[in-house]
Amino acid sequence: MKKINETVKKETLYIAVFTVIFSVITEAVFLILGKWDLTVLCGNLFSAFVAVLNFFLMGITVQHAVEKDEKGAASLMKMSQSLRTVMLFAAAAVGVLLPCFNTVAVIVTLFFPRIAILLRPVVDKFRVGGGTNE
Amino acid sequence: MLELAIGIILGCCALGAGLAMIAGIGPGIGEGNAVAKACEAIGRQPECKGDVTTTMLMGCAIAETTGLYALVIAILLIFVAPGLLVNVLMKTIG
Repeated sequence: MKKINETVKKETLYIAVFTVIFSVITEAVFLILGKWDLTVLCGNLFSAFVAVLNFFLMGITVQHAVEKDEKGAASLMKMSQSLRTVMLFAAAAVGVLLPCFNTVAVIVTLFFPRIAILLRPVVDKFRVGGGTNE
Repeated sequence: MLELAIGIILGCCALGAGLAMIAGIGPGIGEGNAVAKACEAIGRQPECKGDVTTTMLMGCAIAETTGLYALVIAILLIFVAPGLLVNVLMKTIG
């Protein structure tokens, strides 16, 4: 078993933190709208776990892929993407079909890692201070 | 007649979900190409491995977003839309 790269750990932690923050915001929105119940929390937690796991698996694949030759890396990445899509499909289907999960909470949470990445330049600017590159 | 209408609704939903998942092909090809180029870059400048990996991770995650949109549309078309549309049909018929 290979050691997990520091970059992958750091980025996954960043994504996980932002997913938790956005999940809390989602819960607050549901609470304000008066539509909060336990299914929202369950759906949010389930979907957040799947979203972060998907990113982590992508990171692991990238870590392995950069050590291969070009063709091997491309095919590894394509296979990983297909398998992760199947995983997401299964998770989303479970989230939509089971009554213990709120459908909206499940689906919205899947997009949180992407929102976190889109906010990355803004976060980096505040963290580094003055917008200098690392 | 009602059975035919329900059959058309279910068939169209399944067809739509299948068509939506065509968008799932793109991210796989795109990520594969991105990683291949990153390997090339790391081969040229091994000292940049950390930076290249970080940038590529973010790029791959962004590239995957279109696939995720397609996935969500397909999920909704398969599991949510048929029920809603059949309910609308039943209400319309009375």
